[in-house]
Amino acid sequence: MEPAVALVILLIAAIVAALAIYLTLTIRSLLKINRGLGVTLGSVGEIAAKTAPVNGVLDAINATLLAGRNLLEGLFLKKAGPDAAGIVESAFPGEGTKFLRRVGRPGQVVAIGDTYPRGEAILNSLLGAPPAAAAPAPVERTSAKGLRPWER
Amino acid sequence: MAILWIVALALVLSAALLVTLLKGVVDAARNIEHKVEAIAGVAAAGSKDLDAVVALVTTQSYISQVVDGLANYGGSLNAALPDA
Repeated sequence: MEPAVALVILLIAAIVAALAIYLTLTIRSLLKINRGLGVTLGSVGEIAAKTAPVNGVLDAINATLLAGRNLLEGLFLKKAGPDAAGIVESAFPGEGTKFLRRVGRPGQVVAIGDTYPRGEAILNSLLGAPPAAAAPAPVERTSAKGLRPWER
Repeated sequence: MAILWIVALALVLSAALLVTLLKGVVDAARNIEHKVEAIAGVAAAGSKDLDAVVALVTTQSYISQVVDGLANYGGSLNAALPDA
């Protein structure tokens, strides 16, 4: 046999062997990837199943909270009238304007302060206590200690 | 005869190129293997973390009860306090 022919045959055999080896390795890797994706798919399916009811439950929670908020805000507006936004502003700075917007009332928000004289008077009358000494209603949102009413 | 030698040379070059390309394919596949394993781990951990989501149903029930309580309290306040 001519050496050149032998070399060609040898090279062809080497190429086929290299193809076989590398393709086998690739196939093994792809099979492993396939198994990994199967496991991943199972976990992703679990995630999808576990999160499926979340939207409905959160919507229901939001609707319940919204109904509660509307009810309390309506009551608050009915009882405190024009002072309502100011009381909200005093307790939760920055919320008075949002409150007015939600209840659809125009007007400026003026914080009531630490105490609400009208509320105190109503409570005293309900409890049968003597009326508190008249004191000017503070207009500051914070007390002398720099604390808001709910922080004390 | 000269043609055979040229063919042999072409085959050597082809073999080198083939091995390089196939090695790239195998390396890429092995990289994907590791990443898929990592993703599978994260997905399993995420799925386990979501076990607590069932508690939302209990939360929903509690919130409903709290709002019912608030409504009752509001009714009492409505009766007790004078309107503005």
